[in-house]
Amino acid sequence: MIELQLLLGGLQNGALYALTAAGFALIFGATKVFHVAHGATFTLAGYVFIGAWNAGWHPALGVLAAMAAAVAFGIAMERLVYRPIGRHEGGFFTVFVAAFGVSIVVQNVIAMIAGRGFANVDSPLATATEVMPDLFLAPVFWISIVAAVAMFLALTIFLSRHPAGVALRALAQNADLLRAYGLSSGKLSVLAFALGSVLAAPAAILTAMTSGINEAIGNHVMLISMAATIVGGVGSLRGAALAGLLLGVAESVVLVFLDTQWAEGASFMVLFAFILFRPSGMFGAAVAR
Amino acid sequence: MIAYLSNIATLAAIFGLLAATLNFMVGQAGIFSVAHAVFMGLGAYSGAQVALLLVPDPFLACLAAAVVAGGLSLCLALPALRVRGEYFVAASLGLQMMAVTLFTEAKGLTGGMGGLVGIPQPRIFGVVVPVLPLALVALVVFLLLMAAMQRGSFGRTLGAIRDAESAAEALGKNVAVAKALAVAFSAAGAGVAGALFALHLSFVNVESFTLEQSVLIMAMLIVGGTGTLLGPILGAVLLLSLPAALSFITFIPPTDIGSVQQIIYGGAMALLMIFRPAGLLGDQKRGRSEA
Repeated sequence: MIELQLLLGGLQNGALYALTAAGFALIFGATKVFHVAHGATFTLAGYVFIGAWNAGWHPALGVLAAMAAAVAFGIAMERLVYRPIGRHEGGFFTVFVAAFGVSIVVQNVIAMIAGRGFANVDSPLATATEVMPDLFLAPVFWISIVAAVAMFLALTIFLSRHPAGVALRALAQNADLLRAYGLSSGKLSVLAFALGSVLAAPAAILTAMTSGINEAIGNHVMLISMAATIVGGVGSLRGAALAGLLLGVAESVVLVFLDTQWAEGASFMVLFAFILFRPSGMFGAAVAR
Repeated sequence: MIAYLSNIATLAAIFGLLAATLNFMVGQAGIFSVAHAVFMGLGAYSGAQVALLLVPDPFLACLAAAVVAGGLSLCLALPALRVRGEYFVAASLGLQMMAVTLFTEAKGLTGGMGGLVGIPQPRIFGVVVPVLPLALVALVVFLLLMAAMQRGSFGRTLGAIRDAESAAEALGKNVAVAKALAVAFSAAGAGVAGALFALHLSFVNVESFTLEQSVLIMAMLIVGGTGTLLGPILGAVLLLSLPAALSFITFIPPTDIGSVQQIIYGGAMALLMIFRPAGLLGDQKRGRSEA
């Protein structure tokens, strides 16, 4: 039964990874920016929710505040960091270092304000009940799955039906042609960052409810998002989400054989295997080296 | 005061060596690794084990460190041959995280979290020597080697691969071998630095080889300027003197000094990339197109 328990726990984590990774993949696909500070978005959203909770706000208000913080941070990164670098044609390493620098700043500012170590909210939603013999599930499990599926569906519908969504996909394919049709790639980049960042907020809130978050969790989230985007195949949201789910399950199921400290290692073995044997990922077109 | 200054100078030489060898990988070969602390760690553990189990001969320790780090650099060279750019950064990040887990768990070799303690002071022919001159010699040797390679055919091959991999391959350059050699050389240098680090502190544990350390080394390189010979050294000196400078500012509560330091590193990295992407000593025109 422990296997089933771990599998379901992995699904819950994986659903949240899938959301975060889809956000990262959306940003990377549309704007070609490797948004390393996506982990910082996650941390920020989680701590805003915890702050709102501790201040006695209504949870719905806390969720809104967390989402607003995530969107604001994403847009600020685009306007203040990525765009100035893009203007002088900085390469990807310039972008990477700048975003990493910002992540370090966010991590330490949060540590100074909220203190180091794990913080979480005590919600009745996170109390597990025995649903089957030896199988414990909390309402958070269902909320995570439903939230992930709902947000992913909404995103898919937006990208395929709404004019701005179609324009975003066009931006991903050919930015020059998009500009030739008179659309603003700058405005669409802001939209991509806003959408991608908002996807990290529910994942951060649900993680804060279950296992808790600390100021350094952004690193882990960033690595998982990156790994999922690459494993899923760059440019494929579906791939990134599926890979996020897969990594969550892998991290959890590996505990059947190994101790917890190897959980993160499992993700990277998957990433390494893909990089060595199938760098284009599960759904990606073959990429040039 | 003398002891304090010589400690800073030794660390500056060691980190200068780390930043300079990372620079060789990043600036010369265009392999953007964020796993440099892994090879520093491999070198530190092998150097420490040589000193603990065999003889505290610094040359032997450095040799062992270079061989182990250079040999295991294949873990980094393999993904570097398959993918470039963002993909490789992600792979090296993964390697860094894996290595920290391995360092923590392989208690027999590394002492785990407790680390290796009581590493004897280095002795040459039975005479105890401080690490400072050794570190300076290592730094100068590696800088000379790199300067020679930069001018020679190997350096030019690497530069060609960095700027246009397909073109270099078309001209008959063996890209795979050149990349693997560059990574091995750089990792060996990091290993030597790690061994000297272990001998200097006479104690190592996994805390010194985490992602934060890799980022610190990268920050030194970035602040100084990639692709320059002396930039990384300047960056190392600047970033190492930062904690000392901060301790003079009295209004920061001591518990927050670590955070303030990190915020300054991070902020400096981001601002430099936005306003001066080639670093303090870098050629600004060149940095615009390729850094």
